[in-house]
Amino acid sequence: MESIIQVYQLTKKFKDTTIIKPLDFSLRKGEICALIGPNGSGKSTLFKMLAGQLHPTAGDIHLFGKTGGDIAQVRSRMGFLVETPAFYPDFTASQNLEYFRIQRGVVEKKRVDEVLEIVNLAKENKKRFKDYSMGMKQRLGIALCLLNSPDCLVLDEPINGLDADGIREIRNLLVRLNREKQITICISSHILTELQLLATRFVFIKNGVIVEDVSKDTLQQKSQKQLQLTVDDPAKTARLLEQTYADIQFKVLPNQVITIHNHVECSADINRLLLENGVSVSEFRIESRNLEGYYLELVGGDRHE
Amino acid sequence: MSNYLKSEQYRMMRKKSLHITSLVCLLLLVVVAAVLYYSQKSDPNFPYATSRFYYTNIIGGGGFIVIVGFLYNFSLTGKDKDVLKNVVSFGVSRNAIFWSKLILTLRYFLLLSVIGIGLMIGLGETLLTGDSQSVKDFLIALVNMLPIILSAFFTIHSLNMLKVGEIYSLIVMLLVFVFSGDLLRILLRQVTSLQDVYKYAPDALLNDNLLHFMNDTVTFGYQYWITGVLLSVIVLLIGVTKFAKQTID
Repeated sequence: MESIIQVYQLTKKFKDTTIIKPLDFSLRKGEICALIGPNGSGKSTLFKMLAGQLHPTAGDIHLFGKTGGDIAQVRSRMGFLVETPAFYPDFTASQNLEYFRIQRGVVEKKRVDEVLEIVNLAKENKKRFKDYSMGMKQRLGIALCLLNSPDCLVLDEPINGLDADGIREIRNLLVRLNREKQITICISSHILTELQLLATRFVFIKNGVIVEDVSKDTLQQKSQKQLQLTVDDPAKTARLLEQTYADIQFKVLPNQVITIHNHVECSADINRLLLENGVSVSEFRIESRNLEGYYLELVGGDRHE
Repeated sequence: MSNYLKSEQYRMMRKKSLHITSLVCLLLLVVVAAVLYYSQKSDPNFPYATSRFYYTNIIGGGGFIVIVGFLYNFSLTGKDKDVLKNVVSFGVSRNAIFWSKLILTLRYFLLLSVIGIGLMIGLGETLLTGDSQSVKDFLIALVNMLPIILSAFFTIHSLNMLKVGEIYSLIVMLLVFVFSGDLLRILLRQVTSLQDVYKYAPDALLNDNLLHFMNDTVTFGYQYWITGVLLSVIVLLIGVTKFAKQTID
């Protein structure tokens, strides 16, 4: 699959502090990749280097297969929203987007109205940017990203400051853009439940190093934590489990509940074992950690951005 | 670069402060001419109602012109620099940003200057007592001033683009364009071969130009252009080189 973003041994130092240690990362076409990490892990620094705001100390960045001097040209195929959206405070939303429309060589003037409509700001287009709420500013930032119909979006905390409805709208919008227009997305957010609903790939970064890079399916498998069974005969169940799996770890809880902490991947076999031996199973559930739980376990419970 | 220029022009044309500054400048020129004219009307012996004295206000007003230049340049290089991250992330080079902002602000500054000069000559020659040489001398003195004023404009632009604080910028401007002559004279007076270097300092040259204009002895001087071009090259080189490496966020 075509790589949209590829970085090789990318490094960023500020004086004596290494923010990004030699890092390899690639984003393939069609992915929605969530970049997750605690404060100071290097997410925004990585985004800024991709956007050309910061010069890397070492390493290479390839965007759409281009690198070096050619990279500026292909940045026009991308939409970046890094940290807080920045616009001219005395300009209205329309004026701000018109300024960027001219700058980006977007021919259709109506594109400004289109993107304002997409992010639900069409009715607020006469309001000056400085009078916008944080959520509206975020929406305008996303509108700017969409202005030049990009092939890839790089969004750093795009749902910051949005209310629940706004978050849902943006999530639906991003999913729609990804599915209908095949826009590749790299996104970071501190709202991990949203990322879980949105992303197809999860990259965990800590202290400038990628500590885990998993697909949604792999994450779901890895997140499976324990099996919870409600049976009619816990004693018989315990005996059967011990006979079949020598190293099995389980607990017998009140109300005829048994939790099994390993061999989670053998859930189907366990279910069959019990049924074949006459144990009636009224509940059989795989309990999973959510993304936040997985993240906390992985990065050691630091506060995330 | 041309799209970037167009977009910055779109922004500049919507800067009310810029239009107000231009109007105030032109209004000041009219007010000065009117004051001189009515002073002569009320007192026929009033000695300063001459076009030459009127023009002296500009030839001796280098500081005022630099302040106007600062305001013009600040309109595109001022406090809204965080928007540049949107520009850079679209692939516009730092070089294009640096030169586009310079070209646009300079163009409007020069346009205002030409309108102002035309207005002054019109007012001076119609309302005030003139002599046959005053316009010619005025234009020669302006040509002498031009490289120094341009170098000041370029210095302001470089300082603004490099996000140098306003106080530091003011100190740099004062040191280079107001006190450099005196400083060089004091610092180099012990070195015989460099004793006359201070005469090439911007402030010394502007004072010299003013004195010659007032004494009706102004002539085109290459020394103004040597200093102006040298300063311009240095500040633009520093500005564009350092801006190319600057973090934009």
